[in-house]
Amino acid sequence: MNPSLLRSPWPWFSALALALLGVFVVYPLLYIFTASFFGDGGSGWVQLMHDGRSLAAICNTLVLACVVTLCSTLIGVPLAYVSARFRFRGKLLITLLPLITLVIPEVVTAQTWLMILGNNGVITRFLKGHGIFLPSFYGWFGLITSMSFIYYTYVYIGTVAAIGKFDAQLEEAAQSLGTAPVRSRFHVMLPVIRPAILASALLVFTMVVGNFAISTILGHNVPLLSVAIYQAAVAEGASNLTMQSTLASTSVLIVMGLLFVNRRIIARGRYEIVQGRGAKPQPLKGGQGVVVSAAAGFVVAISLLPLLTIAVGAFTLSRGPVMRWGEWTLDNMARVFITAPGPLVNSILYAGIATLISVAFSTLVSYLVVKKPNLVTPLIDYVSAIPLALSGTVLGVGLLASFNGGFLSLTGTSTIIVLAYVIRRMPFGMRNGQAILHNIPNSIEEASISLGSPPFRTFLRVVLPMMLPAVASAAILTWTTTVSELSASLLVYSGGRETLPIQIFRLIDSGLMAYASAYGLVLVAVILLPVVIATTVFKVDLFGSK
Amino acid sequence: MGIAISNLSVRYGAETVISGLSLDIPQGCFFTLLGPSGCGKTTLLRTIAGFAPASGGQIRFGGRDVTELPPHKRAIGMVFQDYALFPDKTVADNVAYGLRARGEKGEGVERKVKAALERVGLGHLLSRHPAALSGGQRQRVALARALVIKPTVLLMDEPLSNLDAKLRVQIRETIIELQREANITTVFVTHDQEEALSMSDLIGVMNKGKVEQLGTPQQIYATPRTGYVADFVGAANRTEVAVRSTSAGIVELEVAGSRLLATDALEGPAEHGILVLRPEDLKISSAPAAGLQSLPAIIRGRQYLGARTSYSVECAGGLALNAELHGAGHDAFLPGASVYLGFDPAAARVIRS
Ligand SMILES: Nc1ncnc2c1ncn2[C@@H]1O[C@H](COP(=O)(O)OP(=O)(O)OP(=O)(O)O)[C@@H](O)[C@H]1O
Ligand SMILES: [Mg+2]
Repeated sequence: MNPSLLRSPWPWFSALALALLGVFVVYPLLYIFTASFFGDGGSGWVQLMHDGRSLAAICNTLVLACVVTLCSTLIGVPLAYVSARFRFRGKLLITLLPLITLVIPEVVTAQTWLMILGNNGVITRFLKGHGIFLPSFYGWFGLITSMSFIYYTYVYIGTVAAIGKFDAQLEEAAQSLGTAPVRSRFHVMLPVIRPAILASALLVFTMVVGNFAISTILGHNVPLLSVAIYQAAVAEGASNLTMQSTLASTSVLIVMGLLFVNRRIIARGRYEIVQGRGAKPQPLKGGQGVVVSAAAGFVVAISLLPLLTIAVGAFTLSRGPVMRWGEWTLDNMARVFITAPGPLVNSILYAGIATLISVAFSTLVSYLVVKKPNLVTPLIDYVSAIPLALSGTVLGVGLLASFNGGFLSLTGTSTIIVLAYVIRRMPFGMRNGQAILHNIPNSIEEASISLGSPPFRTFLRVVLPMMLPAVASAAILTWTTTVSELSASLLVYSGGRETLPIQIFRLIDSGLMAYASAYGLVLVAVILLPVVIATTVFKVDLFGSK
Repeated sequence: MGIAISNLSVRYGAETVISGLSLDIPQGCFFTLLGPSGCGKTTLLRTIAGFAPASGGQIRFGGRDVTELPPHKRAIGMVFQDYALFPDKTVADNVAYGLRARGEKGEGVERKVKAALERVGLGHLLSRHPAALSGGQRQRVALARALVIKPTVLLMDEPLSNLDAKLRVQIRETIIELQREANITTVFVTHDQEEALSMSDLIGVMNKGKVEQLGTPQQIYATPRTGYVADFVGAANRTEVAVRSTSAGIVELEVAGSRLLATDALEGPAEHGILVLRPEDLKISSAPAAGLQSLPAIIRGRQYLGARTSYSVECAGGLALNAELHGAGHDAFLPGASVYLGFDPAAARVIRS
């Protein structure tokens, strides 16, 4: 290597970044993979073939993912189409959808469904009072319903963006060539937005495979992969390293396969739309308008239901698992803030530190990858995307197994929780950082250097200020997602280090819905506060840079 | 400080973009790198600046070897094609940036910034942001920013290419004035020959990573040493010819069945050469002109261009040439007309093929 290169700070930063990624991403992954092959009872893969319950869990997970993906697409695509192409009453509410998914943690959503349709749910008890017995919400029915009504938003967001970019002129051109409107829509628009739909469907699929909160709360008698991994990892006294590693590897392989499909098949079919002059939304009137408004309103109402339920539940008196609806109290909130404020403090602390680390790391490293490429930066780029293939549960298992003693013992520390947050968020931070940097021309930096400012100071004085607005919005997104993180932290946390989602999860497990609601409401407030401050006070464009 | 480049080569991976290039630019000289797209002008400029590392050879600023010096220590001023103003800083802060990077503070900085901006006629825009400036104003800010630090050399990469024609001429003058005033060695990159001819003290015509000819604008235009230079600077007629004899700087040559005389620029004995004829050196008349050598010809086409007319003419033996007439009656000839094409042997040059 050229000696003058080593005098600049970048090669050293690259080496450091690669070392960190190697220890905290590659090593745990390899640890799991190797542990799946060697164990007390022989290879985990052989064991797996004879373990009916684990095989069922894998099967169920795939079936569930297919069904939920289908349902989400069936809800999300029509909703996207009507909201992109038409104007009708209540459309504004639909544009709030992205915010809703951002704000309501899955654990809270699952809790809400239980409070409404669970064994002690409002509707269940009401109907029971009238002699009607509902089928249990636990199991397939509950899993599919609740997941579909969360994940359709991802299909919605992806499809709306694609239709928005779709050039109305293309469609007009097809019509002017003599195709009828409906056919032209199918022939011209569908191929153009199909990649976006497929990509978001695939995203939903991977999210279902990795889903832990809903799976474990509503799954009960349906064995599912991430729940099986979790149980193998925390099994009282008999934590089975081989089996948990094998199951975790299975999850990684499934998600990697899907990412591969995405890259190979879908991304290749992505059309470049040269000029995005979106079609003007047409007003919908009369019967059509009412039907569309009602349908869209219904979907949005269900998405909003969790918020309403926990807001009421947080102030409702309870006796153990029984909610005394209509009787109000402040005791639940008092518990969150006064009697047991630990989870609130922990959440803010851990997520705050993780956000700082994550933003600093991804900003610096994406700068290296984009602006200071060398031999190792492509590797850094590649490795930093690996966490995309790790569900929270898998990551938790990996960290737990790798840093339990050995050369770096982190078990039982707060560090391992923060680490889990940072790693889960890294691919998104990197993608965001790279997108921003591609928009900053190299000449800006060279101008600064030519004026006598050394490279690292140039980065701080010139590049960083230009990245700041986008970095701020990335920081907020990181905050919202880490504050509500459950699946990885649930595995690596230790007594006294509960976060809000962990506390809520444990309260739901004990059936204490009123307390859970209070913690849930506070959690939503903690998530929302920076979002509100950023968008109103600092005018940060959150969704533009996602 | 002058710039001395010796035996420089620059590689991008396996591709050698510049090889064995040597160049001497005297102190205070306005030097222009002229050449077609992709010939390595930007690469050479960036190597001088230090942004593209040299893979061999040496660069000296006023005798001091800077080949291994990182760019921020070379005390250069640089003006970029896209101006590269810092979008989040005001005009004043943009200009002050280099001074502050040198550790200057307080009132001195303010005074210098104000003076520099007033010098380019922008004293009233101190607190604007670059987004709120016109293209020409941005260009001036970029110039002020590069010059306020009193660099040892000024490097400019096609700084005028984003401006419209009128503004380009205006800013050209500003650049020249500022450069003369500061007496600063300047390397200016362009592929616009008019810009190069009008601004430079010295021009280096580049081709495929080499400087093909180095000279004053007059030398480059009037006495191109290669066919490539002749063609790139001013559209010249170039024709393969056979050399019959040479004596006392005059070549007797044969082309398309005619024997003609031309100036010897062959730089040594040769049997073949290229006859270079500028279109504006060719005269058209209805009868052979006195004192010029004449060829019978037919007008094949013409383009009326206002102050001049451009003709395509076919001489006996099928030789096709372009001629350009100025002055009264320059549009007098019509396609199909039989005419005589005349030129002075002093204006026709034969160069090595
Ligand atoms: N970063 C790079 N990596 C690899 N090759 C490069 C790089 N930059 C330039 N080149 C190649 O080097 C050659 C010279 O490029 P250069 O930018 O110096 O041309 P130029 O004379 O400035 O052209 P233009 O007038 O179009 O700006 C080109 O063939 C180009 O493809
Ligand atoms: Mg160039």
